[in-house]
Amino acid sequence: MKTILLTTAAALGLASAAAAQEVTLQFWDNQQTESGLSEFQQAAVDRFMAENPDITVEVTTIPYPEYQQRLLTAVQGGNAPDIATLDQIWVAAFAQAGAVADLTDFAAGAGLSRDGFFGGAWDSAVVNDRLYGIPFNVDVWQFSFYNQDLLDAAGVAPADLTTFDGLRTAAEALTTDGQFGVGLFGHRGEDTVVVVNSFIFSNGGEVLNAAGECALDEAPAVEAMEYLQDLAQFAPDGILNANSGTMRELFLNGSLAIEFWPALEQPTLQASDINWGFVNGTAGASGTAVGTFGGWNLAVFESSANKEAAQKFIEFMVREDVNGDVVDLIPANVAAAEAFLAENREGPEDILAHLGNAKPRPLSARYLEVAEIQMTLYQDVFSGANVAEAATAACEDIDALN
Amino acid sequence: MSTQNRWLIWIFLAPTMVLMGVLLYYPMIGTVVESFYDTSFISPEPRFVGWAVYEKVWNSRQFPQVVWNSVVWTLGVVLLQNLLGFFVAMLLNQGLPAQGMLRALVLLPFVLPGVVTAILWRFMYDPQLGLINSLMIRLGLVEDNAAWLASSDTAMAAVIFVAVWKGFPFSMLIFLAALQSVDRSQLEAATLDGAGPWRRLIDVTLPAIKPVILVNVVLTLILTFNYFDIVWVMTRGGPQNATHIFPTRIFETGFGQFRFGEAAVYGVFSILILAVLAALYVIVQKTADGRRRTA
Amino acid sequence: MTQSPQTRAVLMLAQVMLALFILIPFFWMLSVSLKPATEPFAIPARLWPADPTLENYVTAFRPEFRTYFLNSMIVSGSTVVITVTLALLAAYSFARGTLLILSGLMALVVLAQMFPHSAIIIPIYKLMRAADLLNTYASLIIAYVSVTLPVAIWMLRGFLLKLPISLEEAAAIDGAGPLRIFFGIVVPLARPGIIATAVYVLIVTWQEFLFALSFTSTQDMRTLPVGLNDFIGQYGIRYGELMASSVMVSMPVIALFFFLQRYFVAGLTAGAVKG
Repeated sequence: MKTILLTTAAALGLASAAAAQEVTLQFWDNQQTESGLSEFQQAAVDRFMAENPDITVEVTTIPYPEYQQRLLTAVQGGNAPDIATLDQIWVAAFAQAGAVADLTDFAAGAGLSRDGFFGGAWDSAVVNDRLYGIPFNVDVWQFSFYNQDLLDAAGVAPADLTTFDGLRTAAEALTTDGQFGVGLFGHRGEDTVVVVNSFIFSNGGEVLNAAGECALDEAPAVEAMEYLQDLAQFAPDGILNANSGTMRELFLNGSLAIEFWPALEQPTLQASDINWGFVNGTAGASGTAVGTFGGWNLAVFESSANKEAAQKFIEFMVREDVNGDVVDLIPANVAAAEAFLAENREGPEDILAHLGNAKPRPLSARYLEVAEIQMTLYQDVFSGANVAEAATAACEDIDALN
Repeated sequence: MSTQNRWLIWIFLAPTMVLMGVLLYYPMIGTVVESFYDTSFISPEPRFVGWAVYEKVWNSRQFPQVVWNSVVWTLGVVLLQNLLGFFVAMLLNQGLPAQGMLRALVLLPFVLPGVVTAILWRFMYDPQLGLINSLMIRLGLVEDNAAWLASSDTAMAAVIFVAVWKGFPFSMLIFLAALQSVDRSQLEAATLDGAGPWRRLIDVTLPAIKPVILVNVVLTLILTFNYFDIVWVMTRGGPQNATHIFPTRIFETGFGQFRFGEAAVYGVFSILILAVLAALYVIVQKTADGRRRTA
Repeated sequence: MTQSPQTRAVLMLAQVMLALFILIPFFWMLSVSLKPATEPFAIPARLWPADPTLENYVTAFRPEFRTYFLNSMIVSGSTVVITVTLALLAAYSFARGTLLILSGLMALVVLAQMFPHSAIIIPIYKLMRAADLLNTYASLIIAYVSVTLPVAIWMLRGFLLKLPISLEEAAAIDGAGPLRIFFGIVVPLARPGIIATAVYVLIVTWQEFLFALSFTSTQDMRTLPVGLNDFIGQYGIRYGELMASSVMVSMPVIALFFFLQRYFVAGLTAGAVKG
């Protein structure tokens, strides 16, 4: 009898010890093809596992174009990972669907607060006053990267690019036979949305107003879109099927004078022969260039059986000494970002200033539907439609969503 | 088969019926049921709404455009792919010297994954950097950079062209097989009767391969209607919805915007329209047959 | 048949046009694959890189690439064998059975061809998960067999209907059992149809993307169409490496078809397809 009890106790003890050792976390991230980042990320994951020998992290990277579909299928199929990076614009939907866990208490307990991160990034994870993600990385659309040699030849100063009028004059002067003034693009995609948004923001406009109603048909937004419609004559042909990647290829071969990109573009330009520089967006009536926030948050899935371990992993990934090693955008942790920018980017002060001004896209659970209507509107604008009429139609569609 | 073999019929059919039942009909019936609910990712509690979502889709601005685009896309690809496939099959059945090599070469577009095909062609169509404009400018065919995929006027034609390039080898292969089975003696008899190549084609070859034409057309009809990769990667349905077809719309609505109920409705409509197209073709074919026979 | 010299010249010209039509995109693919990453794209496009290099091939021929290739071969190969076998059995029943219910079932088969994949993928995903098959070859093979079966049955039934039933009847009178008739007479006669169906299934599964993406999660289970997307990022495409990979994907398949085409076309046409 005694033996049996002892054996059972021993077995139970062993079992619980084994359980403590067998936490395996599934971490999904969108694949960073640009920078060979995955090596660094793996190094950081290894470091985490060394610090936490009882936790194993399995990283799955998924190419960006399919990431959203893949994640949605997994969640709907009841097979979500423990942790994933979520695009800022998905968080509200995932939170409302009940797919991701409330991290408010965890963040308070771990001492993570809005002050330590870029405010816009933090806000993108807040839904109904509860926090559903921790900002991982950020960037801002857009910086105007310019080709210094082409600007010199046309007698344009970089500072000219920072106002609506200045940019238009410069674009006209920079457009010559076989050379394009400005790299506007208008395919159906988020990069189109964020660039047009930033011109609307910089003109004092909004996508949705404080009450959540469409504001694209109001004067500042309409003016900004009319401005872009006119500016498009100095862009390369075929912008309705062109994206930021297309413009990069033209910028790199020296035929495009100005391209719109987030700071992420810098490493590519550094590796090129182009004599480049950048300014922070373009200011309209508001007097300030206001960019659009982009970036990714780390979220824990409601279905995860290992939420504590998952939170530990998130805490590690956004730590000041780690965050900069695991991102190729800009670390969302401000202290990490300062060090990262000083080391890896030209003009870190300017980048920080632009991040400080940037506005998020509408933080709504139905953002993706709003964005689709915006894409249709912006394509109409770039193909010469009457802006005010198109904006009114788009606003009817957006307001009908609610 | 005799009565005692009825068991055999069912044994032969069993695995197929189980697989199709579980992996095709069960999910599809689920989708049909879902189409009567207002359901999306963000409202996980489905609400029964009857035909409401159907009405919403039916009355939406995009719906007629998606139907029209789907019909143009499908008919365009099916017609061109089979015509080209047929003429290439004829060409590669003449005993010319390079025939063997070409028969293998023709299969090249066919083996290239659809996503890669689409990226390759999107790049070729690029107004500035692409090979097509480069060649056309060199040959003096165009002066300006034509933006093939970025104009609502040319985008559909441009994606159809790519689908034909990728798809004609399949039609060709089946036609080639059929051509080789055409009775040589009949062709020779027709030649002796003084029929030229054109008459031989109309009077002997075409009637002989008619069943194969039917198979090819219906098969490519179904494959094309539901073909997703090329349009999605090349244009994402743009510009201004000019190339949005049912599969891209279903994908965008369901996975891009998380509206499952609406995606389900598009799915049901897509099956109905495809079934109508296929049925129309078969009926036209049969009626034409009947008329020819009575004539 | 002999052609007049003029006809022959026209036909040869048509062959050249055909070759150009097929090859120009592949030429461009090759050209881009040989372009160093540092050489910008020119306007108008340069036909051949100024300074061709094999560096993209070196990067693209990673161990992962070989894994993807192997996975694609395993999945496509298994699917072809299983689909064609099951379809042949089913098609034979449909072609020779006289029960009324069979025509109803055949209508269901035809209808099933028309289901759009993106509308049924989430329920299928749930089934795979319930069966604990996610991230296995089996999940892909089962899904591919299911979606290719309807068309395969339909194609094979067409071929089988054209086979003269008299041969089977004669064999039955000679005392051959139904299985013996099926394997000894029907299958050999249906060879062209079997080959055509196999090609169809192979092509569909070789490039299938949506299921492959959804059902696999780890890199060692990915197939080629998904793996090639490694070079497509959020903000740009690494054309050089993508095209180098594409060339490497195409080559073995072309070689295979080149060596098999004689046998292949002969197989397709052997007797039996007389309409």
